[in-house]
Amino acid sequence: MSRHFLTSRSIVMSALLCLLPALVFAQNNGGPRMDHENTLPPTPTGPTPMTPDGHPDLTGLWNGLADNLLGVPNQMHNVGIEVGTDTTRDIHSGVQIATWPLQNRTRQNNEQNERAATLLRRMGSNRPLYKPQYWQRVKDFDANSNEEDPSNNCMPAGVPRMGVPSYIAQTPMYLIFIYPGQGGLIATATSYRMIPTDGRKHTNLEDLDGTWNGEAIGHWEGDTMVVDTIGFNSTSWFDQLGGYFHSENMHVIERLHRDGNTLTWTATVEDPDVLLEPWTTTPRVALLNPDPKAVLLESLPCSERDFAHVVTKEHH
Amino acid sequence: MPTRAIMIRVPAKMAMVIATLAALAFQPAGGQSAKPTTAEASDDASKSNTSEVAKTLKAAAEALGLARWSGVGGQRLPEVDVINTMEIWGSGTTYGPGQSDKPMSFKTEYHAALGYNPPAMRVEMTRTTSGAPAQGGAAPQHTIEVVRDKYAWDESEIGAGLVTGKGTATPAMAAVNNRLLQLWILPYGVIKAALAAGDKTKVSTEKGATVITFPLNGQLADVMVKATLDAQNEVAKVETRSDNPALADMITETEYSDYADHGEIATDVKSPGHIVRKQGGHPVLDIKVKMLDANNPYLVFPVPENVKKTAAH
Repeated sequence: MSRHFLTSRSIVMSALLCLLPALVFAQNNGGPRMDHENTLPPTPTGPTPMTPDGHPDLTGLWNGLADNLLGVPNQMHNVGIEVGTDTTRDIHSGVQIATWPLQNRTRQNNEQNERAATLLRRMGSNRPLYKPQYWQRVKDFDANSNEEDPSNNCMPAGVPRMGVPSYIAQTPMYLIFIYPGQGGLIATATSYRMIPTDGRKHTNLEDLDGTWNGEAIGHWEGDTMVVDTIGFNSTSWFDQLGGYFHSENMHVIERLHRDGNTLTWTATVEDPDVLLEPWTTTPRVALLNPDPKAVLLESLPCSERDFAHVVTKEHH
Repeated sequence: MPTRAIMIRVPAKMAMVIATLAALAFQPAGGQSAKPTTAEASDDASKSNTSEVAKTLKAAAEALGLARWSGVGGQRLPEVDVINTMEIWGSGTTYGPGQSDKPMSFKTEYHAALGYNPPAMRVEMTRTTSGAPAQGGAAPQHTIEVVRDKYAWDESEIGAGLVTGKGTATPAMAAVNNRLLQLWILPYGVIKAALAAGDKTKVSTEKGATVITFPLNGQLADVMVKATLDAQNEVAKVETRSDNPALADMITETEYSDYADHGEIATDVKSPGHIVRKQGGHPVLDIKVKMLDANNPYLVFPVPENVKKTAAH
């Protein structure tokens, strides 16, 4: 198999890859930051607003660092790689990773950048532990993700792969989570979740038709909102990348904790059908959009046009 | 893959112009925002060594494709070591003790899965002696040898001992040091370990070639490594020795050559195409690399409970 894209296609894709941050930055009206100098979690500032019923108010536009799945720095943050100015750390293992200052970096062309991005997104040590009989399947899914990724062709990312919601509205009875559609690594249509917090119980799993987002119910544990979800289909993958498939018996517990202008999100995946033990994402910290007038813009329509032109297994 | 609604047909020349402008607009202006690392912030007096070590290791890391810019997309981020997990497939010859002074050779299919965070390696080999069994040769031997941190064990099948009824994991604690050494004397391990050794890492020149020397750490702390670079700054030869009698079998010499990106999915990570190793003066391995997956593939090395229990005793 050829290792190269069709030449003109490659140039067009490279040009658009370079422009993507510019497009996003411009669209977000100066709010979300794309010009990262590090992938460290933002430091919380300001008070945590409370609702009349005494809970932290999670309401807000949580895209101060741009959509959490967008851009290599956010994706590295998601897998627990903290890159500072001159130090890098794997949060999960605590291992220090060799770092060379930006000023001495060797220039890479766009093709080299794409290949580096593939490695950067996968270098974290926090990996779910599958039963041995599934190790090869996970590896194959990831290696062939250009064809195998269930989010291709504009299908939903599903829970918990969608990560931190870009917008949360909190009412006494419900939470509303909104995830704008996007291109890039996970290209999806806009998705939403309506999560009851009225104390109801789950429907029996046997009575649920499995879906991408499942049946979610929220409750407070102190100042932390816990969203408990069951009733999935077995189509989606449960993390940003890696080929992490699951069964219909997957159970996801998300935790959201607000501290001032930051929102820390984790998801724990339980799936004894395929995993040796539950797996928890590295905490992802979202930043409140600093512009109080900011709104979510309409997402670009999701339309798969590239796949027919991809002739290698390289990730994009 | 999807969306890409922004994908439109753009003439190639126009796309090149766009790419150039985008690169100019979003690539960081070098030298304005980052502080030098400790290793590179040397004063004139110590420059000869500290800066030379930093420069040498950076060149070697880049030659392997290990040091890569993390600010893809135009961010003001540094270069980082991107290598964690990888797999190597090869074939060739391995050697074992023979009946006389001459070692016995085996035709060998070699497959290594390894990771540096945490340090772990699973080496699977299928060895056959020359001649089919019916002609007097022995049946193929299939071995799976694993190490992770301070644990070593042998598996009857990949992932044995983790799920009831799926294979057997046999503790092999005496092999921990030898198996860990195999991980750290690979070219990637050499650069990582030399960087981790900090001020203990020295650079010199021997017969016109750059030589890096440093001690390993942890349970291999008494092992000294000497790595010789070739003209492309690739690790060409690695020698280890130890003055500690308990680590007497840590005397190795490995030659690496024919570097290339051997991945089915290109990564710009180079690996040697030919590996030749001696241990204690005797040949142990001569392998031609067929393929390398350096894309940080899903490789895990959970320690079976029975191995942990054995180690605890």
